Amino acid sequence: MAKPLVLHLLLLLICGSALLSSGSVIHPISDAHRSAATEFFVPAADGSFGSLEETYEALRTFQILGLDRSSAKFEGTCKTVSEKLSSPTTTKDLYHALKITAILGCRTESIEFDGITSRLQTAVKDASSLLELYYSLGGLLTVKEQGKDVILSDADGTFQAIKALSQSDGRWRYDKDSTGSSAFAAGIALEALASVVSLAGSDIDQSKIAVVRKDITKLFDRIKHYDDGTLYFDEKNVDPDQYKGPLATSASITSGVTAFAAVSSEKLNIGGEKILGLAKFFLSIGIPGTAKDFFYQINSLASLENNRISIPLVLSLPATVLSLTAKDQLKVEVTTVFGSHAPSLAVSLLKVLTPDSKEVTSFEKKELEYDPENRIHFLDLSPLKIDVGKYSLIFKVSVNDPEGADLYATGDQIIVTAFLTGFIKVDKAEIAVSDSDAASESVQKLDLSKESLISLSANHLQKLRLSLQLTTPLGHSFKPHQMVVKFRHESKVEHLFVPETSSRQYKLVLNFLGLVEKFYYLSGRYEIELAVGDAVMENSILRSIGSIELDLPEAPEKAAKPPAQPVDPLSRFGPKEEISHIFRAPEKRPPQGLSLGFMGLTILPLLAFLIGLLRIGVNFKGFPTSAAPATFAILFHGGIGAVLLLYVLFWLKLDLFTTLKALGFLGVFLLFVGHRTLSYLASTSAKQKTA
Amino acid sequence: MAKQRPSLLLLLSLISLLLSPPPAFSFSDESPTARRILVLVDDLALRSSHSIFFDSLVSRGYQLEFKLADDPSLSLQRYGQFLYDGLVLFAPSVSRFGGSLDQSKVLEFVDAGHDLILAVDSNASDLVRGIATDSGADFDEDPEAVVIDHLSYAVSDADGDHTLIASDNLIKSNVILGDKAIEAPILFRGIGHSVNPANTLVLKALTASPSAYSANPKTKLSSPPSLTGSSISLVSVMQARNNARVLISGSLELFSNRFLRSSVQKAGSKTIYDKSGNEQFVTEAAKWVFHERGHLKAVNVKHNKVGETTEPGIYRINDDLEYSVEIYEWSGKSWEPYVADDVQVQFFMMSPYVLKTMSTNKKGLYSTSFKVPDVYGVFQFKVEYERLGYTSLSLAKQIPVRPFRHNEYERFIPAAFPYYAASFSTMGAFFIFSIVYLYHK
Repeated sequence: MAKPLVLHLLLLLICGSALLSSGSVIHPISDAHRSAATEFFVPAADGSFGSLEETYEALRTFQILGLDRSSAKFEGTCKTVSEKLSSPTTTKDLYHALKITAILGCRTESIEFDGITSRLQTAVKDASSLLELYYSLGGLLTVKEQGKDVILSDADGTFQAIKALSQSDGRWRYDKDSTGSSAFAAGIALEALASVVSLAGSDIDQSKIAVVRKDITKLFDRIKHYDDGTLYFDEKNVDPDQYKGPLATSASITSGVTAFAAVSSEKLNIGGEKILGLAKFFLSIGIPGTAKDFFYQINSLASLENNRISIPLVLSLPATVLSLTAKDQLKVEVTTVFGSHAPSLAVSLLKVLTPDSKEVTSFEKKELEYDPENRIHFLDLSPLKIDVGKYSLIFKVSVNDPEGADLYATGDQIIVTAFLTGFIKVDKAEIAVSDSDAASESVQKLDLSKESLISLSANHLQKLRLSLQLTTPLGHSFKPHQMVVKFRHESKVEHLFVPETSSRQYKLVLNFLGLVEKFYYLSGRYEIELAVGDAVMENSILRSIGSIELDLPEAPEKAAKPPAQPVDPLSRFGPKEEISHIFRAPEKRPPQGLSLGFMGLTILPLLAFLIGLLRIGVNFKGFPTSAAPATFAILFHGGIGAVLLLYVLFWLKLDLFTTLKALGFLGVFLLFVGHRTLSYLASTSAKQKTA
Repeated sequence: MAKQRPSLLLLLSLISLLLSPPPAFSFSDESPTARRILVLVDDLALRSSHSIFFDSLVSRGYQLEFKLADDPSLSLQRYGQFLYDGLVLFAPSVSRFGGSLDQSKVLEFVDAGHDLILAVDSNASDLVRGIATDSGADFDEDPEAVVIDHLSYAVSDADGDHTLIASDNLIKSNVILGDKAIEAPILFRGIGHSVNPANTLVLKALTASPSAYSANPKTKLSSPPSLTGSSISLVSVMQARNNARVLISGSLELFSNRFLRSSVQKAGSKTIYDKSGNEQFVTEAAKWVFHERGHLKAVNVKHNKVGETTEPGIYRINDDLEYSVEIYEWSGKSWEPYVADDVQVQFFMMSPYVLKTMSTNKKGLYSTSFKVPDVYGVFQFKVEYERLGYTSLSLAKQIPVRPFRHNEYERFIPAAFPYYAASFSTMGAFFIFSIVYLYHK
C-alpha cells in the first residue's frame, strides 16, 4: 500500500512543479475568482446550495469575497436553518446551521440559544471523536460570537481530551481507536483547541498552550516545498479513503494554526516565509476545479489575510512580457492575498540574471518608483540599457515602517522571470548564385519588409549563398531561436536548412553538387521560405522570398526515390460518381410495312393456286356416296384440318409438349381414318379399272 | 459444519458475482447508453484541475472511474469481458501501468471497438508514445521538444516563450466538432506529432500554423527541427475500421480548467476572446469520441420489383426494381433520422454495374429504383457509406439475376410475319389440295 502512495506523491510533486514553473508570477485574488464563485455556487430555487455544509461553504465564500448575500435572497435559507436549529439534529448540522445564521445575519429572536448551548455542552462532554468535538466547540463559539454568554464548563478537560489525540510528530488522530494519524486532523484539532481557549476565557493553563505551540512547530517541520519557495502540506501514509489532497490538508492546517495564533497570547514562532509560502501555494492554484476546493482556497487565504503570525504580502507583476519598442515600464504590485494594498514599502530590483544565471553587469541595484494613485511600483526600462532577452529579475520588498516589518511577510528575494521583447532589424539580406570557383556571382538584395519575390536559376555545379544580419535595438547581434530556410519543390518535397552564424552574420551556403542526392535529383522550381522567430522578437518573420529553378542531373537508377507525400485523407470521403449500366441495343428490324408487304407477297401463290383450281373447274365427284366411307372421309379431312389448326395454336399459344401430345392422338386417329378412306378410294378406282 | 462449508463458499461466490460490476460492451446499436469510462491519471489532483471536462462527461450520463495509472488493480477486462466502454488516458508520464494493463491491452481494448482519449504533455513516456504510435500519431522523438510558434502564439502577460499556442486551424467537420463553429482560438501547450502518412484513418483535428516548429525552447537549434509548419498535428482523431474512436492530444493542459476558462488573444490580432475555444472543442470532440454524434445505423434494407412489395429471391435481367434503406444517427439519447443527400447504392458484381444516389424523405428513409442490368449472375446490393467523422456503413445483400426464360421472349415479331404467312398459306394449300386431289374426277 505504501509504495503506490509514495509513487503517487512523487508524481504529484513532478506535476505540481510543472504546473507552477510556468506561472511563477502569482496574482492575488481578483474578480476572476468572484465570477468563478458565482459559477461554482448556484443557489437552488429556495436559496440553499444543497446540504447545510455546502450552503455554509457557499455563503462563507460569498462573505469573504464580498459578494451579495443580502438576506432577501436567502430569506428561505434563514427559515430552514432556524427550523433545523430547533429540531434535534447532528452536531455537524447544528454547527453549519449556526454558522449560516451568523453569516446571513438572520433574525435570531425565535432561536432557543440556551437549549442549543446545553445540547452542544453535552455533546462536548460525550464526544469521542475529534470531528464531534470540533463541530460542537465550533458551534458554541459561534453562539458566543452572536453575543450570547457561553462558558465551557470543563475547559481544561476538553483541552486535555483533544490534546490526548495528538501524536509525537505534530499530527492528530481522528479518535482514540484509530491508529493512523493525519495532518488534516491536526488542522481540525488546532481549530478546536482555539475554540476551547476562547470559550474558556483565561482558565487555560499557559503551559498547555506552550505544548501545543511545540506541536505546531513539529507540524511545520513536515511542510513540503517547491523550488520557488511555495510551501504546502500533504498527507503521507494515510488510508486512501481519508486522503484529502494537498489543498484540503494545507487549508485545514492554515485555518487551525491561524485560529490558534489568534487566541494564543504569545506570538507563534513559525516564520513569515512559511506563511508566505503557504499563501503562494493557495494563490498558485489559480481557480480550482471544484466548489469544495474553491472554498478551501478562499477560506484559508482569508485566514491568512488577517492572521497574527505575519501577514503575507505578495509581489505580482501585471505583465512579465515587456516590450522595449512600446517603452513598457516594469510594473510591480505588492498587495495582500486579497489584493488590498500593503503599507508603505519599498521595492527594489536587486539583480537581473540571464537564463544561464549570469548577472547583467551593466545593471546596478535600483529602487522602483511608487505611483500612489495606482498603487504601483514602476521602473523605466529604457535608461537601463538592457537588451532584449529572457531575464530573471530579483526583487526585494522592505516595509518602511520598522515596527510593521515584523507584522508582514514579504519574502527574502523574489525571483520573477520576464521577457523583454523588441524589434529586431534585418540587415544586409542577400541571396546569390555563384559558380563553384566563385568567379562570377550575381548578388540580389533582399528586402524583407517588402513583398518582393526574387527568382533565380542554378544548376548542380553552382552554389547558392544566403546571408543576413540581425541586430537588436541596442545594436548587438541577435541570435534567434528559429532560423530556418525551407526549400519546397513543386512535388511538395521539403528540405530545411539552418544557416550558420559567423561574425554577426547568418550565412547559408548550399553547394548543389553535394546536395543532388538529398534533393532526390528533382529538377524544377523550388520555393524558398525564410522563417526567423524568437520569443523576444516582436517582428518574427515567415515569408516566401522567391523561387529558384534548379537544373539537376538525371537520377541514376539506384537513386533513392523521394518520399511519398501523404495523400489527402479527406479524399476518400464524399460521394462517388454515379454509374449507370449501358444496355445492349436491340437488333435492328425492317420497318413493319415492309414485313407486311412481303407477307402479302407470300400469300399470293395460295391465291394463284385457288384461282387455278377454279379455272380448271374442280369437282368433288369422287366423294364417297355411301354413308360409312363418307363419314371416314369427313373425319379424315377434319383430322388434317385439326392438325393444321393445332399448328396455328402452337404458334399462338401452345408449347411444344401440349402440341406433341395432341398431335400424337390426332396422328393415330388420322392413320386409322386415313387408311379407311384411302383403301376405300383405292378399291373404288380398282373396280372402275377392272370394269 | 464440514457439510455447510461448500454451500457457504457457493453463496460467497454468488454474492461476489452479483456485486461485481456488469460487463460493458463497445458501442452497440442495441444498448448505446449507460457507458462506463475508466479515467487513468498519474495524479488524482487532475480530477479537480480538469474537472470541467470530467463534469461535462458526468453530466451527459457517463460513469467515470478514476484510477491512478499505476494502480496495481488495473484491468480492462474480466473473464474475457470488458469492464469499460471507454478509456481516458490522462497519464502522460506513466512508464508502466499497474495491474495487468499494458500497451497491447490498450490496443486490444481499441481493437474490440472501444474508444480512447489520450492526452500527453512534455513528459510523455515511451509507453504513452507507443500507444499513440499504434493509432497513427508519431510524437516528436526529442523528449524535450515542445511546439513553438512565434507568429500565432497566445498573447499573455505572463508567458513569454511562445509555447502557449493559439490555434484555430480546425478540421472542417460538423460531426466531429459540432454544428456551432468554434470561434475563439484553442489554447495548446505541449508536444506536436505527425500523422502517419501510411495510415488513412487518422486525421488532423487541430493543426499547427505554418510558422510552428517543434523544438526545445531552452537550447539553440542546431539542426533543422524534425517537425515544422502545418505538418504538425496538435490534436488528431482516428476512427478505426471497427468504428472505435481515438483522440490524441499533445497537450493535457488543453483539457484543463485553466485553459478552458482562460481568455485568449492571438498574436497579431486585436480581438480578445473572453473564453478560449477549448471548452467547446474538448466537449464536442469528446461527444464525437464517445459516439454521441456521427454513429449511424442502417435498418430495414428492402428491395422489390416496382409495383410489388414482397422481396423476390431472384431478379430477371431488365427488371425494374426498388431499393430502400433506413439510416439513423445516434444523438446521445435516441436514434434520430439521418439526413443527407449523398447516400449511394451499388448493384455490384466484381465491380459496380449501377451506382446511384438515393433520394431521401428526410425522415431517414433512402430509396431509389433502377433497371437490373442485362447481365446475369450473382449480384450484390451494396451501400458503402464513408463520410468524414461518421461511422462507416457497409451493407451488402446478395441477389442472383437470371436471363429470360424461353417463353419470355417476344412471340409475334412483325418482321417474321412473311415466314408465318408462307407456312400457313402452304398449310392451307395442302389442305385444299388433299381434298381436290382425292375427290376430283
